[in-house]
Amino acid sequence: MKILLADDEQAITTELVPFLRRSGFEVQVAHDGEETLRKVQSLRPDVLVLDIVMPLLDGREVCRRLRTSSNWTPVIMLTHVGSAGERAMSLEEGADDYLNKPFDPFELVARIKAVLRRGAPRTQSIAAAHRLSSGDLAIDRPSRRAFRGKREIALTGKGFAVLEYLMLHHGEVVARERLLDEIWGWDYPAATRAVDVRIAEIRRVLGEDVEHPSYLETIVGEGYRFVGTVDIAG
Amino acid sequence: MKSGAAIATILVSPALAGTIFGVGMILGLIPSNLVFVSLQANSGILPIVAGIAASVVGTLVWGIQAHQRRALDGAIAVERRSQLEARRRFVHRLNHELKNPLTAMRAGLANLAAGGLDADGSLGTVGEQVDRLSRLVDDLRKLADLETHGMECEPVDVVGLVREVAEMVRAEPGRSCRSAQLHIQEIPWEPGPVRGDRDLLLLAIYNLLDNALKFSPAESPVEIRVVEDGTWTTVEVADAGTGIAAYDIPHVAEELYRGRGAQAVEGSGLGLALVERVASLHDGSLIVRSRSGKGTVATLRLPLHNS
Repeated sequence: MKILLADDEQAITTELVPFLRRSGFEVQVAHDGEETLRKVQSLRPDVLVLDIVMPLLDGREVCRRLRTSSNWTPVIMLTHVGSAGERAMSLEEGADDYLNKPFDPFELVARIKAVLRRGAPRTQSIAAAHRLSSGDLAIDRPSRRAFRGKREIALTGKGFAVLEYLMLHHGEVVARERLLDEIWGWDYPAATRAVDVRIAEIRRVLGEDVEHPSYLETIVGEGYRFVGTVDIAG
Repeated sequence: MKSGAAIATILVSPALAGTIFGVGMILGLIPSNLVFVSLQANSGILPIVAGIAASVVGTLVWGIQAHQRRALDGAIAVERRSQLEARRRFVHRLNHELKNPLTAMRAGLANLAAGGLDADGSLGTVGEQVDRLSRLVDDLRKLADLETHGMECEPVDVVGLVREVAEMVRAEPGRSCRSAQLHIQEIPWEPGPVRGDRDLLLLAIYNLLDNALKFSPAESPVEIRVVEDGTWTTVEVADAGTGIAAYDIPHVAEELYRGRGAQAVEGSGLGLALVERVASLHDGSLIVRSRSGKGTVATLRLPLHNS
């Protein structure tokens, strides 16, 4: 599997390249936005690991240009400022996942594998889609609204964000700590209760049977998994 | 000047009393609402006029002085805000500059470990320190997140939240023996809900209780008191710990500030900064009172939902 690692920070590429190679990937490097665009075209990587802050073109612009030209190469964005707003924006630009610097390199490998497991998309990836559906459940991401059939259902902002994240990572077991880190922006051990409260809210709103869930499954001791199939809705 | 002394003077000479009131108010010693006393206690028209004139002049000057004082207080507040802003910008830049080196170091450590180059176990120590720095950067991000994060705004049952936090903390490793005594106002009613973000408030109360437990001996009790006064719900977390030195108190809610008494306890110096930020996002406040060697009371005041 081919990875294109785009980061202008020499120290990072010097250390990450051997690490990723040892993890079984073939790795190429780009040092600025324009070089990244050229190499995505010429090398056709299976995954692009893309730093946001780069010379010439920043990572977000690179991602936007790729998606505008219907290039759906999976992108894992490396965020810098790391605010929740920036992370949400990365997904809106069409990144498939994001990691905050400084990250654990093993976590990067886990994310790359997860993105690869979802399969190489020939069309728009769900991460870049505005509207997602699963059965009669649909979410409209830009307006942060959720629907069962034609009926709108009322979720809090956090409840919506959790549902959106689990739908985007459908089939994956997502740990509470990861949800906290990605959505709340903190990962205090004690705060995992906050995730449970939002999961309970989503289940209540969706009328889920906890024993036989159609959407949200609890994996005891590990986290939650969205079990329905997720499609891009028109 | 005490008001009793002022009233005694009025009985002797209303004119003198008026003058004294005027001077008193110029000096800011006598509040203007005591002026009516001089009107009730006089016995002639001239002394009345003299007294009123002096009082009016005094009130005017007192008003100007109060205005000047407010302006000075305002200037100090503006200066303090600007210092805080500058500090935040600095912390933000520091946070930003640490991210790339730490990312490279974490990958480098993984490479060294994979290459079997850890003959004397140093990698473990370096790894722990890199993790520690990474946690610090992560904590700084959490603070920055509060600035940009959309806040939920719903009625939050603070009493329920306090009970939940107490249970959570009890379930943490090594803390099952610590007791957090809850004193919740019950009569004639329990404190009502506040309007805000449940998760942020949980985090704030958790941090207060976590601090109280961290900075007090294992055998000493910690109290959490929740009361409501019709406008505010107040959560007080009190410990009988080491306390905070008076010169540290004004700084305890600043990012990365670690008081001298806190050096021996592990922590990032961001806990109270986060609580203070959460309080201000909710139009509330955090007040910390402490006596060295006696203990600390942290008071989180939050406006009631319907106030």
